[in-house]
Amino acid sequence: MADLRINLAGIQSPNPFWLASAPPTNSGYQVQRAFEAGWGGAVWKTLGDPILNVSSRFAAVSFNGQRVAGFNNIELITDRPLDINLKEIYETKKRFPNHAIIASLMVEPKQEKWHEIVKRVEDVGVDGLELNFGCPHGMAERGMGSASGQVPALVERQTYWAKEVAKTPVIVKLTPNITDITATAEAACNGGADAISMINTINSLMGVDLDSWNTIPHVAGKGAHGGYCGPAVKPIALNMVAECARHPHINVPISGIGGISNWKDAVEFMLMGATGVQICTAAMHHGFRIVEDMIDGLSNYLDSKGIAAVSEIIGKSVPKYSDWGNLDLNYNIVAKINTDVCINCNKCHIACEDTSHQCIDRLTDANGMSFLKVREEDCVGCNLCSIVCPVDGAIDMVEAVREMPPMTWNERQAALSGAAILKADVTK
Amino acid sequence: MSDYQQFLDERDKIDFFIQKGYRINGVKEHLNGATVEFINPKGNVFETLVIGTANARKYFTSLLLKQNHT
Repeated sequence: MADLRINLAGIQSPNPFWLASAPPTNSGYQVQRAFEAGWGGAVWKTLGDPILNVSSRFAAVSFNGQRVAGFNNIELITDRPLDINLKEIYETKKRFPNHAIIASLMVEPKQEKWHEIVKRVEDVGVDGLELNFGCPHGMAERGMGSASGQVPALVERQTYWAKEVAKTPVIVKLTPNITDITATAEAACNGGADAISMINTINSLMGVDLDSWNTIPHVAGKGAHGGYCGPAVKPIALNMVAECARHPHINVPISGIGGISNWKDAVEFMLMGATGVQICTAAMHHGFRIVEDMIDGLSNYLDSKGIAAVSEIIGKSVPKYSDWGNLDLNYNIVAKINTDVCINCNKCHIACEDTSHQCIDRLTDANGMSFLKVREEDCVGCNLCSIVCPVDGAIDMVEAVREMPPMTWNERQAALSGAAILKADVTK
Repeated sequence: MSDYQQFLDERDKIDFFIQKGYRINGVKEHLNGATVEFINPKGNVFETLVIGTANARKYFTSLLLKQNHT
């Protein structure tokens, strides 16, 4: 069995699966049950001045029968006194000394506030700290959470303040509600962060009730934006992790968060540079015991690949992720319809005819039976037909015979800049 | 005419000059694609083509890259 242990900036855990700071890590009772189930670590629900919550806090998007495709919450950080949380952290750490407990922290952007909470939390034996610069709702209106996390100078300064007194590794949790997350990631590194984690939740309004015209959720007829997470956000999160992982000035470990629902998602994040992952929505949907499948799946995957330790896969796909300008313009794939599998539903034909490049013909064979055929010379390899096809194996996207050597946009532009630029504006 | 047929047509025109020993001398990109200027081996005859299709624009720049490496 492969070694699943990870070491994220000095924080060790028996496997890469951590519960993210959120309702599942609100109390010692929950975190201890999670550790019993097999979770390798937990980021305690954010500590700070205890808040007041509203009732009606969560909402979810169901999509074509998939429940909780996306999830939204307007719950704030912990509403429990710090001393109670610290007592439960101490007890949990004592009972599970080999599991990682990280304290998520959020205070006003003042040096003395950060010093105070860091010292008090570290006194009870946490393995690390996670600075919450990400929560987009409620606390942001008070200058904390994503309001801090959207300003690189504030990220750097507050990270620095935490690091001034911290004895354990400091992870900075970043908000995705920003144009370029590498700007705040770099600011965190400049402030001395030992690691970064991403993504926190995305600003969202889940819906409007068509009868009452209330927002979903609503609180006595009024709503406010929440934080969006769950499987729907995974591609956004994965991109942000990858962008940070390949950035030349961001050289700290990454804890990946965002829509991770199973071991396969976790592997994808780790291949794209995450040292470990944090999970919330999937646990809220299915319970703590989903970690059993995650551990089994990851272990079997590594064994099947002959990989001895999960740490060996970290970042292995990062070199494959680049800018569009470095992609090969002369690489071509085309669709091939396997008529023995195709059920002639025509979805590919309609999709291609109406919204792509009109290269799938509906033909009739000698027996009068209709069939679909791709005109490969007109196929641009967009993948749409295979995406909308309801039958696995009916459409394959295959590499076309290469007719020209590789050429990227950047190489093309360099070649053109070397050629003489025509003076005459001959366009016809 | 399909995009592919237009591409073949434009590629044939490009190949016509290349096979006669012309080299790509200059390119101007514009809203209708690109105007490509060819120069004959003696350097005294210039010919131009307006290339519109995406594949033909990839094609002539691939030839330009090859030309730059020979």
